[in-house]
Amino acid sequence: MYTKSLRCILLLISLTLISGCWSRKELNDLAIVMALGVDLDKDGYAVSAQVMNPGQAGSLSGGSNGSLPVVTYKAKGTTIPEALQRMLSTTPRNLYLAHVRVLVFGEAFARQGVGDAVDYITRNHELRTDFFLLVAKHSDASTILDVITPFEQIPANSLYSSILVAHKNWAGTGKVTLQQFIVELERGGSNPIMSGIQLQGDTSEHGSVKNVQSVIPKSLIKQAGIAVFKKDKLIGWLGEAPSKTVNYVLNEVESTQGSITCPDGGVAGFIITNAKSRIKISLNEKDEPEFTIHLKAEANLTALNSSLDLSQTASIRELEQRLEAKFNNLMAANIRQVQEKYDSDIYGLGEELHRQYPKLWRSYRKHWDEIFRTVKVSVQSDVAIRRIGSVVQPQQKEMEQK
Amino acid sequence: MTEKHDPQKRREQLPGSLALFLEEMRSRLGNSTDIIYRLLALGPFSAAVVFIEGMAEPQALIEALHRDLPLYAEIGGADPRAGLQLLQERTITLGKVGEVRSLEEIEAEILSGNTVLYIEKAAVALSVGTENLKQRAVEDATSQSVVRGPREGFTESLRENTALVRRRVKNPQLRIEERRMGASTRTSVSVMYMEDRVDMTALEELRRRLNAAKLDSVLESNYIEEMIQDKRYSPFPTVYNTERPDVIASALLEGRIAILVDGTPFVLIVPALLVQFFQSSEDYYQRSDFASLVRMLRYLCFLLALLTPSFYIAITTFHQEMIPTSLLISLIGQREGIPFPAFLEAFIMEVTFEILREAGIRLPKSIGQSVSIVGTLVIGQAAVDAGLVSAAMVIVVAITAIANFALPAFNVGISVRMLRFVLMAIAASFGLYGMVIALIILALHLCTLESLGVPYMSSFAPLRRGAQKDTLLRLSQRMMKRYFGQS
Repeated sequence: MYTKSLRCILLLISLTLISGCWSRKELNDLAIVMALGVDLDKDGYAVSAQVMNPGQAGSLSGGSNGSLPVVTYKAKGTTIPEALQRMLSTTPRNLYLAHVRVLVFGEAFARQGVGDAVDYITRNHELRTDFFLLVAKHSDASTILDVITPFEQIPANSLYSSILVAHKNWAGTGKVTLQQFIVELERGGSNPIMSGIQLQGDTSEHGSVKNVQSVIPKSLIKQAGIAVFKKDKLIGWLGEAPSKTVNYVLNEVESTQGSITCPDGGVAGFIITNAKSRIKISLNEKDEPEFTIHLKAEANLTALNSSLDLSQTASIRELEQRLEAKFNNLMAANIRQVQEKYDSDIYGLGEELHRQYPKLWRSYRKHWDEIFRTVKVSVQSDVAIRRIGSVVQPQQKEMEQK
Repeated sequence: MTEKHDPQKRREQLPGSLALFLEEMRSRLGNSTDIIYRLLALGPFSAAVVFIEGMAEPQALIEALHRDLPLYAEIGGADPRAGLQLLQERTITLGKVGEVRSLEEIEAEILSGNTVLYIEKAAVALSVGTENLKQRAVEDATSQSVVRGPREGFTESLRENTALVRRRVKNPQLRIEERRMGASTRTSVSVMYMEDRVDMTALEELRRRLNAAKLDSVLESNYIEEMIQDKRYSPFPTVYNTERPDVIASALLEGRIAILVDGTPFVLIVPALLVQFFQSSEDYYQRSDFASLVRMLRYLCFLLALLTPSFYIAITTFHQEMIPTSLLISLIGQREGIPFPAFLEAFIMEVTFEILREAGIRLPKSIGQSVSIVGTLVIGQAAVDAGLVSAAMVIVVAITAIANFALPAFNVGISVRMLRFVLMAIAASFGLYGMVIALIILALHLCTLESLGVPYMSSFAPLRRGAQKDTLLRLSQRMMKRYFGQS
């Protein structure tokens, strides 16, 4: 009895030991890739990987040999995995992809189509699906990954958080994760977008510490609006206002700033605190769909340079109406512009039609892109001004009265 | 079974003469210097007082005998029985007097501190309760101290201990069964219960197990615990022990059975459930809401003490994708240059800590402190500075240790300590997957355990809704029906 159970225990112990700690990876055997860049190369792909340098990035006291907190490795290959494998000839450790924060595509590569790259990335089990996709405007992805940034030791983290902050408080840029991109790509009635980034300033020393050793960093990475895709190919860029419009329609605006002109020619500044949009579809007499975007927004007054008497409800109402008019006109114009210039349905109007009129959609599905170009889209906004700040009258007006 | 309970077998007539008696006693007890034979002449009878110095206090008896000597002279050479009667009725003023009719009994009485008065020619001898062991006074219960609540702890004396319980439960239903266990030590063992509340089948089962226990010696209650516990190879204790009389009192009132062993302040309680090991008597002496929070904290501590190192090993060697990126960056930075794999690192630290703790327990208090200072400095600071272990690992080990100390029952802490190493090894070879399987096995094992026929995991499995008022939470006294076996 004793020997039997003892044997069993010994067998169990050897089972744990013989398996040899399958797929065990010690933390200090890993090279954590923080950002991946994919560029076009004549033989296929040029991949760059921004890898964390743990001795520098992790320790509080800072490393001893004065190296930088990240290292960017580059390699080429006919497929992305091949390029990554080849990269191992230069890296001291295994590349670990689970913590990639951003994936940057070079503009040339994006124009040629990102489908294959996305295929590898979704196929690889190590990568998550919640990192951000970016397009490097007017440059290669690798140059973006070369920049040393202030504040964050790791540029990829800096990029990641700047996207989050900019999206939350400015809304002039996209926040597209891999998951969202794939969903938009696969759906029939919509086309994906990505956010763009751009190098700004003197780029001669962007890859060395000297870049951040001055009060004004020589070069900075800047959010560059939204990249419009048609299927998986980049076809163009949107500026700040059209980008905001896209975010309003996609219900992605958390807060943003804006201004209108007052009746007397002054300027009133607003912060949008809450915005919700809904796409309504009506059929005209020829049974063609017409789209109305209903936008409900709440705004706070943040600045006023005008003689408007804010103690009167009528003047608040006046401001609201002006805001609504601005929303209606500007957004409609921006949508019109995308329709004409890119004929790519990044607003997901087709998807909405699919949902609300599934039968009608069947006849449009094949050639939606052409129809999208001519479809009628209007904007109906409803703005409520909630707060006007701690003072009622502008300072200037009060001074004049005294 | 000791001779005490079966005197019929070896029944012998007492020797007829004093000389014979003394010779017989000397041959049985040897010529030990602490055994005192005091010879007396009570009128016509020769008598002997036998006792053990230090265990018995026969001064009052001897003085009384001397005082009444003239009375015995009056009786004259008549019936020795009359002398005995006189003794019992007049002379002996002490409470406990009994007749003993065999040498075996005389021997047992003397050894337990009583004084035996032998009168020549009488067929009986008298055993007088003069037991007076020098013993520790009732002091604070050091192993389970409380902020609020009674401070008394049990002592090494069985009588004292039963009295401490009686004083708290002034109830006629309280029963004490006494027996002697250990063939060589003949230790008194008392079984205490409330006649009207105890589960009779459990009591019957306990008696059966106590009768079946073959023990040569009983020097501490653990000797009994090992004989009566349900599963010998389980790391979890199925017998609760305490040195607090109030805990025993509340257990008795819940219908449990207490086993008191002479010579140790640690009293056993059966049946013991897992939840009991997370309860402290102070839970009932503090506000119930606070007690509930503290109790939940203890369950958390149990999990922390059991799982922290293995979880750390599992996620840092197998599941790096689960660590938030910024935490990962800092962890990697700390592990940079550490020569050992995470498992070995954890193992070294845990073993070092166990050594430190073991050393601290055995050392005198004054030196113990310096050991812990050296230990913390060496482990905490120097090891990290030398790059042997990472700072994160020191934190992991420290949390584990502190959580372990937060468990109110020492013996469940021991189980956690043992299982921790097993889980660490499993985590190092199979990651979280292995840990989950190990935890499932552990849960199954806990569910198979029983304590004296009561499922160990009750009242979770089987679930008794009514009993949940005093498991994870401690509801206020108004809402609790405190009666074990009733739900």
